[in-house]
Amino acid sequence: MRLLRQAALLLRSELRQELRDFELVLTAGFFTVVLLAMFYLSFASLQQRAHLGAIPGLMWLTIAFVGVLTLTRVFDREREADTLRALLAAPVDRLAIYVAKAAMTLAVLMICCAVLVPGLWLIFPAGAAFAAAPGSTALLALLGCAGYVAIGTLFAAGLATGAGKNTLLFVILYPLTTPVLMYALVTTRALLDGDPALPSYLGQMAALDVILFAAACLLFETVLVGAAGPRRSSSSARRARPSGQVPRDMSREPAP
Amino acid sequence: MNDPTSIRPPRPFRLRAVLPDLCLLAAMPLLVYSVHRVFIDTPNEQTMGTAFKIFFFHVPMGWLCMLMALVAGVAAGVQLRRRSRLAGCVALAAAEVGFVTGLGVLLTGPIWGRATWGTPWTGDARQVTTALLWLVIVAYLLLRHYGPRTSDRLAAALAIFGAVNVPIIYYAVKLWKTLHPSTGVVGSLPPEMWATFWPGLGALILCSLGLFGLRVRQLVIAEELDAAWVQLDERSQST
Repeated sequence: MRLLRQAALLLRSELRQELRDFELVLTAGFFTVVLLAMFYLSFASLQQRAHLGAIPGLMWLTIAFVGVLTLTRVFDREREADTLRALLAAPVDRLAIYVAKAAMTLAVLMICCAVLVPGLWLIFPAGAAFAAAPGSTALLALLGCAGYVAIGTLFAAGLATGAGKNTLLFVILYPLTTPVLMYALVTTRALLDGDPALPSYLGQMAALDVILFAAACLLFETVLVGAAGPRRSSSSARRARPSGQVPRDMSREPAP
Repeated sequence: MNDPTSIRPPRPFRLRAVLPDLCLLAAMPLLVYSVHRVFIDTPNEQTMGTAFKIFFFHVPMGWLCMLMALVAGVAAGVQLRRRSRLAGCVALAAAEVGFVTGLGVLLTGPIWGRATWGTPWTGDARQVTTALLWLVIVAYLLLRHYGPRTSDRLAAALAIFGAVNVPIIYYAVKLWKTLHPSTGVVGSLPPEMWATFWPGLGALILCSLGLFGLRVRQLVIAEELDAAWVQLDERSQST
């Protein structure tokens, strides 16, 4: 209960910050519209049969791109104000930080889905299946985005605590989230085809999400702050050591 | 290790120190024997013909890739839990050997697939999961080499997710409908192919273990050097 209350407080703070300038929603929403326009220009002339194959891929590629943008911005705000350090030092359960950030990212991605899915339906007539099953579509979007956010928040937080190199999020996130996105893709295809096995696919996606959230919760604190006190890493040595120089002390014989 | 003057070169005559070199030495004649057996002594498979010979390299490399991903994942878990530098070195070395063996699997698989299925890539579950594991290993290596100061912990988490992928790859042929041969194919080999498979597997295991051991040793020495530099730097700043 304490964890949930802390997570709700942090989420409220995130939402308040977002409501001040709508930065995340506007940038992610605009990026979604730009991607939709590019998809329209690239694929609208294809035959309707090809649309059925293309829609799931376009939908989840958009989520993958928008997700990275959102995750980067969610943690960049903390980095710019150096508030993540303060949050970690505060008497707050670290897991509450993860839950709040994940919930915020999920909320932004769901808003993007609210633009993306009708957009795909407008551009590609084959997307009418989304309108025919709005409940399943919403559940599919929620489960797909939740799996992506579960892993994404963990690694975005880990990168946010380091100096720079946020671009590596792309390198880490895409190989790791591919299974979730592939599952979402197969389920979307089942939804568009009217496959009776759709509830089973959705159940499997939910199970995968639970596993990913559990793994991310277990690893979050260790990844963010480590298991014990700080120690200087090899990169400290790289900074300390001028290139090509050998310490004189190394040539000495070991003390008896 | 805390005092830079206490760093000493590895003693060359300790068994543990020369074990990787011994593995590599033993692998050389075994590899030559194995190649001779595969291409000269073993008859062609009835349906697949000469293309089946790639099996003797493809399967051991697949097993080694999965083994190295598991080793990297377990070592990364120990690294996260106990903040062990040695575990970090083991994880990195295992990932590097896993990268090479994974590349071998991903190159030999499509060649075999093209000869037997008529297409190099069918997109079946085992192919996709193996390719994903290899991508996770690449991401891990990129993060370890180019990541920020705290990236060691992050990379360790990535290695753990990679290790979780291993049982999925193993059971992929059972869980999903796939063209890929099942997990019991090695057990069903006729005796002459069985006799060819094991020397090849042994040679590749010895080769991988040798490279793995050498790399761990190299990384541990590099870590000790780094620690020495940090101490020297701190000492010079304090005086």
